[in-house]
Amino acid sequence: MTPTTPGGPTNAAAPASPSGPTTATSRWHVSKESVTGFMPVVVLLALLVGLTVAKPSFASVASAQVLAEQTSILLVLCVGQTLVIMLGGIDLALAAMASLASILIGLWLPTNGIFAILGVLTFTTLAGALTGFVHAKAQVPSFIITLGTLGIWSGFALALSAGTTIPVREHYDLIGWMADRTGPIPNSAAVALVFVGLVMAAMRLLPMGRYVEAIGLAEPAAVMSGIRTVRAKTLIFALSGFGSGLAALMLVARMNSGAPSLADSLQLPTVAAVVVGGTAITGGVGGLNRTIVGALIIMVLRVGMAVIGIDAAYEQIVYGGIVILAVGLTIDRARILIVK
Amino acid sequence: MTDSQQAYAPGTAGPPSSQVADPPSLGGRPRGPARFKLGRIGPYAPTIALIALCALFTLINSTFLTIDNFRNIIDASAILMTVAVGLTFVILIGGIDLSVEGVIAASSVSVALLVANDHNGNNLGLIGVILAILVGTLFGLANGLIITRVKVPSFMATLGTWSVGLGVATVFFGGRVPNIHDQWLRDWELVRWFTFSPIIWIAVGVVIVGYVIQRYTRVGRYAYVIGGNEELAIQSGINVNRYKVLIFMLSGTLVGLSAVMVSARLGIGDARLGANTLFAAVTAVVIGGTLLTGGRGGVLQTVVGVLIVNVINNGMVLAGVDPYLQKAVQGAIIVGAVTVTTWPLRSRLRMIK
Amino acid sequence: MSEPILVIKDLDKSFPGVHALDHVSLEVRPHEVVGLIGENGAGKSTVLKVLAGLYAPDSGTVTLRGKRVAYRTITQAMDAGIGMVFQEQSLIPNISVAENILLGVERGSVRHGVYRWKDLYRHAQVQLDKIGSRIDPRSNTETLSFSERQMVELAKVLAIEERTQEAPIILLDEPTSVLEKEEIAILFGEVRRLREIASVIFVSHRLDEVLQVSDRVYIMRNGRVVAERDPKTCDSTELYSLMVGRALSGDYYRVDQQVPYDEATTRLEVKDLTLPGRYEDVSFTVHGGEVLGLTGVQGSGCEAVCRTLFGALEQGSGQIAVDGKVARFGMPADAAARGIGNVPAERRVEGLVMGMRVDRNITLAHLRVVQDGPVVSRPKEESLVREWIKRLGIKTPSIGTPARNLSGGNQQKVALSKWLISEGLKVLILDHPTRGLDVGAKAEVYDLVRSLASQGIAIVLLADTLEETIGLSHNIVVMKDGRISARHAAPPGGKPSQVTIVERMV
Repeated sequence: MTPTTPGGPTNAAAPASPSGPTTATSRWHVSKESVTGFMPVVVLLALLVGLTVAKPSFASVASAQVLAEQTSILLVLCVGQTLVIMLGGIDLALAAMASLASILIGLWLPTNGIFAILGVLTFTTLAGALTGFVHAKAQVPSFIITLGTLGIWSGFALALSAGTTIPVREHYDLIGWMADRTGPIPNSAAVALVFVGLVMAAMRLLPMGRYVEAIGLAEPAAVMSGIRTVRAKTLIFALSGFGSGLAALMLVARMNSGAPSLADSLQLPTVAAVVVGGTAITGGVGGLNRTIVGALIIMVLRVGMAVIGIDAAYEQIVYGGIVILAVGLTIDRARILIVK
Repeated sequence: MTDSQQAYAPGTAGPPSSQVADPPSLGGRPRGPARFKLGRIGPYAPTIALIALCALFTLINSTFLTIDNFRNIIDASAILMTVAVGLTFVILIGGIDLSVEGVIAASSVSVALLVANDHNGNNLGLIGVILAILVGTLFGLANGLIITRVKVPSFMATLGTWSVGLGVATVFFGGRVPNIHDQWLRDWELVRWFTFSPIIWIAVGVVIVGYVIQRYTRVGRYAYVIGGNEELAIQSGINVNRYKVLIFMLSGTLVGLSAVMVSARLGIGDARLGANTLFAAVTAVVIGGTLLTGGRGGVLQTVVGVLIVNVINNGMVLAGVDPYLQKAVQGAIIVGAVTVTTWPLRSRLRMIK
Repeated sequence: MSEPILVIKDLDKSFPGVHALDHVSLEVRPHEVVGLIGENGAGKSTVLKVLAGLYAPDSGTVTLRGKRVAYRTITQAMDAGIGMVFQEQSLIPNISVAENILLGVERGSVRHGVYRWKDLYRHAQVQLDKIGSRIDPRSNTETLSFSERQMVELAKVLAIEERTQEAPIILLDEPTSVLEKEEIAILFGEVRRLREIASVIFVSHRLDEVLQVSDRVYIMRNGRVVAERDPKTCDSTELYSLMVGRALSGDYYRVDQQVPYDEATTRLEVKDLTLPGRYEDVSFTVHGGEVLGLTGVQGSGCEAVCRTLFGALEQGSGQIAVDGKVARFGMPADAAARGIGNVPAERRVEGLVMGMRVDRNITLAHLRVVQDGPVVSRPKEESLVREWIKRLGIKTPSIGTPARNLSGGNQQKVALSKWLISEGLKVLILDHPTRGLDVGAKAEVYDLVRSLASQGIAIVLLADTLEETIGLSHNIVVMKDGRISARHAAPPGGKPSQVTIVERMV
């Protein structure tokens, strides 16, 4: 606590501005929030333009289809991550859960058909709910509990699969359609957009959307307004779990098999996509619409680097750097006084 | 000033928790029983747990209780010990260092490419080792600066540097795993001084140095101060940022050292050598009794934690448990240990993200 | 009469909405204990915090040993010889007593970053000896009792002496509030001993304590020093009236609008509510249409009781019943579901979600009112919000404006409306509802309170000033040190005087 006036950074006596809502003021009366909403779109467009200039053949339907297919799985995972980050937390176990789910699909699909799919989705949703519940009820920080569950899911994925991939042949058609295209539209993209669309609609129309915003912006006020935060957090993590399950189905569809680390390489990209899209880890600000842009940016970067001829290994460096940069830019410094 | 202000404790090393911006909380009034709660897990619980586990595994498989097996356990503990001692200091100040595996990757590849190897003509010997360790120090410095200057919380900053470290390692080793030909370095694992290899003695040395730092140096003592009440530390005129950077540098250095150790042991430099180290290290520190909230615990506690982790791994193998489940067990331990230790601190308006 | 060592002249300090110090002047002489007494919000603590370097004053001067000074940090003030004894929260747990005493100033005992423990213990022992304490500097701070920690705090402040070679000025801010009777006696002994080596400013709401230990007392009210007295010769009744001053006219509180309530409708019944360490055996009843004023100094338990009533604090033993049905609240959501509303004191942190739109804030607590089944109906919400904005006179550029852009008074109205939109509101807890508001806004809040009461809602009021409590309430419950010390009826025309109330508060 700095020894100055305790007026605090958010001064309640600030007069209402006639030009509309403002937060941090700048010369053009543009709020930080709208800047962080704009910038990613600008960046995405700049990347797309740059890429097309570097490789004109990029601007084609085929490229768009490939990009859409690659982004869709990431996007499905990002839905949960976006909401968890909006609450102010983080989910480090999303991808590991998807990997485990892919193993379960591989093991159960041949013998149980449609029930395997239902079973896996139920499992991931319940596992997510349990994570959220323990986090909220025991007041354990989300990063540590998801670090722990990361190990649990990963360990079980390895144990159940004995470390190898599990090919899927029987009943593959139940999920295989997700890797196909209907006309020019990749099915995976359609699935992802439908999922994102449904969740976005839910957040807009249902009370839960308000609750997430309130908890992320000012959890004490949310609690004091009678919001059941344990319930809300449990639900959001459950949704995240569902997303992991769905992503697993899409991955198995594409790879024709499940594998113990199938989705692991997507973990950091989910965080990067959400943060780059403009959702602040301080919570309450951002949303799924921003994450769509963020996920596209992440994927376009991947494609772009391949196109330019940069080694895929640089990807990790780039993503790591992006995360740090994006968080540094979007974090709401007014709300955190001590950085641990 | 109302009671509500006391509930908003400074956040732990997770996503930031909102602070009360005004009025100041210094000089607040607690009520009732002392607010300093000694954890439910008394200071001796981990040691008791260790002994209990040894007993349990001996019952399952009597070969557990042999000198050879204990030597295996100690062997396996050495490298983890080095990492965990560094991580202890980071967790003491209330932070976390997720970049461990990335730094090990970068340092391991560095040492393999700097000493005599089959990839290039370098033969820097001890200098190469020191440089590789300094790679770790550099990452620690980067972590510290990002956290203190850019104000990115440690879990996020180190998440980023983890990836950067892995990327750097992958980029530099360029496809083929370099084999280490430097005999002096390989001897770290192959030679025996009083039954144990130099690697184990180095680990012992790290523990001793770590304890000395914790007990006798300002960096160590201030780790407890910053972890105990960072606001107050700032108010008392302590340059908290400087010490945070130093502690992350300490952690990075020890991680770099551990990378050199594991490279010496396996004779290669590989970006994957750090796999699963983060887990084991966090598990070890947490179960040893160092609290994630900071200010409590220490090097000696972590020693017990490391032994517990390795006893469990070893015991599970002897019990015929699928070795793949080790990670799952460690994950479960993290969740369990943290839940149990933070349970007494729960309160209705405590905001944990 | 020696030269004063510390002179404060025309010290002025304001926070948003609060004029905390209004041209405060006082002085401290060497080797004396000066007491500051006054009600909540009189400014006593603020004076200390300015001296200690926590706050910078807006204007005015502080003269220390003849020189003008202005400290920006605690360390600066301590280097000059002014130290404040905080409560135990300002000790670092889990390190030794010696380290706490010498925190930040270990220089003499640390060479090149290495701790020389013998020296550290020795230096700490010197401080402990000054107060005759037998605490072992090697012991872990966590193992100490409250009063022992208080002693360590004192020793820590006394380390100033070595920093300045001058007689320190020690600021004690409510040092006895967490101590038991025996420990208080020990503390007083220490304070008397301190006189020999330092000057002391002693702040406490407990009049008898301040009078017992001080050489001179200043009485503060509303941010001003209103009088100076000699504790040995002053009259406590006079002190009480100095503390409270003249009341504002009844019109201000719309006393004429105070309508009698219906004795038959009991909305809230509290029986033997006890939370160890906070309050004990609290019982009262609030009827529909009644305003119950709960009053007491900081630490008296009023705030804790209100938080328990809303589920924000544990309920120990005892019973809470709403409309006759017993309830136990695990969290505020439970209380809200039972028809209790709460406007918290910390508006910016608990009362509103500052970054969220006004309309969403208003509907946040009772979204069901604007839902069509599971979905929130935007048209319903809009019309409801506009209705309430009109009803309460909330001034906002649009319903989508973030709450933080509104003025304090309008924010408070939003925080209030959140509970009013529900038909099922039975009990409303108002925790310092006019804090930080200007006169006009306050008046509007008083009007609202009257109108809500006339609609049959039971109101529990924790007011900012005694005047407000007396003016607005039908009945007053006074708490002191966790227990109810008095009950007064306050009908129009029969309002108790402030002095009567204060007597039972301090």
